[in-house]
Amino acid sequence: MAGPLLSIRDLKVEFATRNGPVTALDGISLDLMPGETLGVVGESGCGKSITALAAMGLIPDPPGRVAGGSILFDGEDITHADAARLRSLRGTEISMIFQEPMTSLNPVFTAGDQIAEAIMLHQKAGRAEAGRMAVELLRTVGIPEPERRARSYPHELSGGMRQRVMIAMAISCRPRVLIADEPTTALDVTVQAQIFDLMRDIQQEFGVAIMLISHDMGAIAEMADQVSVMYAGRVVETGSADAILDDPLHPYTRALIGCIPVLGKAAGLEGRMPPLAEIPGIVPPLHLLGRGCAFADRCLLAFDRCRAERPVLEGRPHRVACFAAEMEAA
Amino acid sequence: MSLVQPAAAPEAISPLREAWIVYRRNRPAMFGTLLLAVIVAFVLYGTFLYAGDPYEIVWAPQTPPGTEASVPLGTDYLGRDMLRGLLKGGGPTLSVGAAAAIITLLIGVSLGGIAGYFGGWLDDLLMRVTEFFQVLPALLFAMVVITLFSPSPITTAIAIGVVLWPQTARLTRAEFLKIRELEYVTAARSIGARNGRIMWRVILPNALPPLIVSATLTVGVAVLFQAGLSFLGLDDPNTMSWGLMIGTNRQYVLDAWWPVTLPGVAIFLTVFAVSLVGDGLNDAFNPKLRER
Repeated sequence: MAGPLLSIRDLKVEFATRNGPVTALDGISLDLMPGETLGVVGESGCGKSITALAAMGLIPDPPGRVAGGSILFDGEDITHADAARLRSLRGTEISMIFQEPMTSLNPVFTAGDQIAEAIMLHQKAGRAEAGRMAVELLRTVGIPEPERRARSYPHELSGGMRQRVMIAMAISCRPRVLIADEPTTALDVTVQAQIFDLMRDIQQEFGVAIMLISHDMGAIAEMADQVSVMYAGRVVETGSADAILDDPLHPYTRALIGCIPVLGKAAGLEGRMPPLAEIPGIVPPLHLLGRGCAFADRCLLAFDRCRAERPVLEGRPHRVACFAAEMEAA
Repeated sequence: MSLVQPAAAPEAISPLREAWIVYRRNRPAMFGTLLLAVIVAFVLYGTFLYAGDPYEIVWAPQTPPGTEASVPLGTDYLGRDMLRGLLKGGGPTLSVGAAAAIITLLIGVSLGGIAGYFGGWLDDLLMRVTEFFQVLPALLFAMVVITLFSPSPITTAIAIGVVLWPQTARLTRAEFLKIRELEYVTAARSIGARNGRIMWRVILPNALPPLIVSATLTVGVAVLFQAGLSFLGLDDPNTMSWGLMIGTNRQYVLDAWWPVTLPGVAIFLTVFAVSLVGDGLNDAFNPKLRER
């Protein structure tokens, strides 16, 4: 099997703040295989979006900065690539779709124009030809009446359609990696399912590798081949989707899975719904992290060692960074 | 053909078109537009209908308007035809105003855009420069610029533009600062757009509404400025303008009111019309006011 297409190695990202530098990503490692889907899951503020921006070379600098580690795209370290090389990678090799399709499309241009612009950035195509290609792309992403919709402005489209336009723009130059940062969070559940279907179709048709970032374990379960669970700027557990969903080792992963609501017959066996699980507390402010495990303060299994020492990822291929899980396994 | 007809969706309406629809319903703004159109038409075509040299002495000095058929608006202190002066002098007044507004926009938008987009030390530097120009007394500074070069409509336009651009620069900077953080700018970057493209093709079109309003109002200010400068005798005396008419006749205002008042009214009406248009554009582009 070929090596990973996008490989993040021990990446550290710092942000300058009034309280001094804050480590937003603290040595994370992720591997995205060609044609596969990697789910990156975690709560708000755990560094998922920063990971996505880092992979695009789009960390706002200043205040942010890549403080260590590397991001290898097809073997090439893009943390040291110059601006021109990054620009030529963006769109053609790595593309991104965003959480809020209302704000990620330019309100003053039509959907077709925006896609055509993206095409003309990287391909030798005249305006008319790019326009035709844009209509074709709109058809590919399942927009009815693409000729007419190409002339619509973003505010005239529904949320789901806007996200389809966004996807059309992202795949316009056949990238090999598609980073989807919470692509369905702002959408209805039914539309969410449609967008996931579309992403799967596109993956099959174009062979694109998808890095799906979400806080929703349910979405990850539906889409991902591999899963990495992030917490407070660190990867706490990583493995195949089946392994993580069926046999979660980290208390945080277990808690996240416990937060998926159970519906239908399975829920009603005892006559009433089980209460929905919650994880007490929030992700701690990054500048207040101690030496130990970042999750220790919210963890039911935490013991002394968890607060004094930082666990590292152990095991293979299903890796977890937790002392309690380690003891359980032993 | 499919069985289910899609609901007749409204035809695509561009944001500019939508603004025009709102603008058309705005009565003061339409009145201002009409008034401005009439003034411009008079200035453009009036000299063809009522030809003649505005410097030529044609009748007895200080003939009141309406007393002599050959000089319907009377004469000034030298006996020159007021109507010829008003028609001939409108051109330089309006074109200097418009040119000054364009110069203001060019300097202000490029400097403000660069400052707002790139931020950091470049922003600091450009903003200090802007403040330097802002704290200079405007009229005095314009006078200095004009006296340094020979007075002509072009010098006047440049002088006014150089004095008025800081406001536009600050407005542009604020808009760029706000818009560059929006997700569609990140999205544009994520498909590989370069800085220049993001600044002028992504951010600028979204920053246009307040800039259009500001430019319109700048035309009004520039017309006043131009009048003020020619009143002070700093404009080219060989180019007839409304300000020049007021300036040359001001000593005799107690003997004859019309040589000063008529160009004053012309200036007032022009600035008034331009302000109404500017306010109308503001309402049309400001989504919060649209709902009223």
